[in-house]
Amino acid sequence: MALLRRALLAVGLAGLVAAVLRLRGSGGTPPQQGGWRELSGPDLQ
Amino acid sequence: MTRVLLVGAGAVGARAARQLVEADDVDEVVVVDPSAARRAAVVHSSGAKATDGGSVDHHDIDGVLLAGPNGTHADAARRHVALGRPVVSCADGVDDVYDLLALGPEATGADVPVLVGAGFSPGYTCVLARHAAATFEAVEEIHVARSGTGGPACARAHHAALTGMAVDWRDGEWLHRRAGSGRELCWFPDPIGSEDCYRAALPDALLLVPAFPDARRVTARLAATRRDRISAHLPMLRKPHPEGLVGAVRVEVRGTRGGVQDVAVLGALDRPAVASGAVAALALRWALRGRLPVGASGLAVLDDTVGFLSELAVVGIKAAAFAGSG
Repeated sequence: MALLRRALLAVGLAGLVAAVLRLRGSGGTPPQQGGWRELSGPDLQ
Repeated sequence: MTRVLLVGAGAVGARAARQLVEADDVDEVVVVDPSAARRAAVVHSSGAKATDGGSVDHHDIDGVLLAGPNGTHADAARRHVALGRPVVSCADGVDDVYDLLALGPEATGADVPVLVGAGFSPGYTCVLARHAAATFEAVEEIHVARSGTGGPACARAHHAALTGMAVDWRDGEWLHRRAGSGRELCWFPDPIGSEDCYRAALPDALLLVPAFPDARRVTARLAATRRDRISAHLPMLRKPHPEGLVGAVRVEVRGTRGGVQDVAVLGALDRPAVASGAVAALALRWALRGRLPVGASGLAVLDDTVGFLSELAVVGIKAAAFAGSG
């Protein structure tokens, strides 16, 4: 019984850590300079 | 007299109807939808050129726009191609796009174009990729990302896309990777700005690779929140909104120009259903004018991207370029 409880606890903790790792943070850093400009001119460049 | 059949009177179909009835080269838009109320609403709001497909015949149709939910496009397209009608489909499901592209030989035999994935993304993004590629001597990578949803069917497709398998092209072979993985921060036109995007079951690579056979990598990602990712494996917890808010798309093309490695990033911002309806309607009009190649393909096969983007800019869908650095 104790073994089962420990196993369940370990699985639960692993799931918790996995969920935190999956949801935290960001996928990179945003550009530090520049921006968007509308395409214009005859060639839309 | 040009008579077109519009199948699907949802958020995208309603916007496509509006674009078609306002076009000088379309005389009648026959609207078909399983819901009589939705059909009647679109006919009523679109003016005299729109007619209810439940009360008029479907003969003498010059072109067909399929704007219904995913899963309904391939069989309908096959029937219309057999009747010699150009078909434009807004489907953005991977299976739908596979099935529609498989209609290539039939479309070629019938001498008609079948435009696949003619929405905001895929669709407008395919045009942006082709437009950006024109400035490169060699295109090596294309990476597409999108944010936002159109109507309820689009929201359901977004939800489902985060649980399927992503289809990426890498070094000459297809890779199937788990949707929801591969987080990347993508920078969309303002005011969307930066959003985390993930691999998802999106068909963009299926449409881009045939048009860019020399590209080594083609990927597509979908912007998603933490709640989206937690709930992706559950049924949708609440009914989708009638229409999503402003969305955006972004296309990054990498390759060689001027003899050096370079990157071009193009994007656009709009309500996805509005932009999808406009792109699909214009694609159908171009198909009717004979300006699209025969066979089944995406919009990345367009030759005249400047003409297509210029016509869309007139109705308010404007492309932008990102200039900056990390």
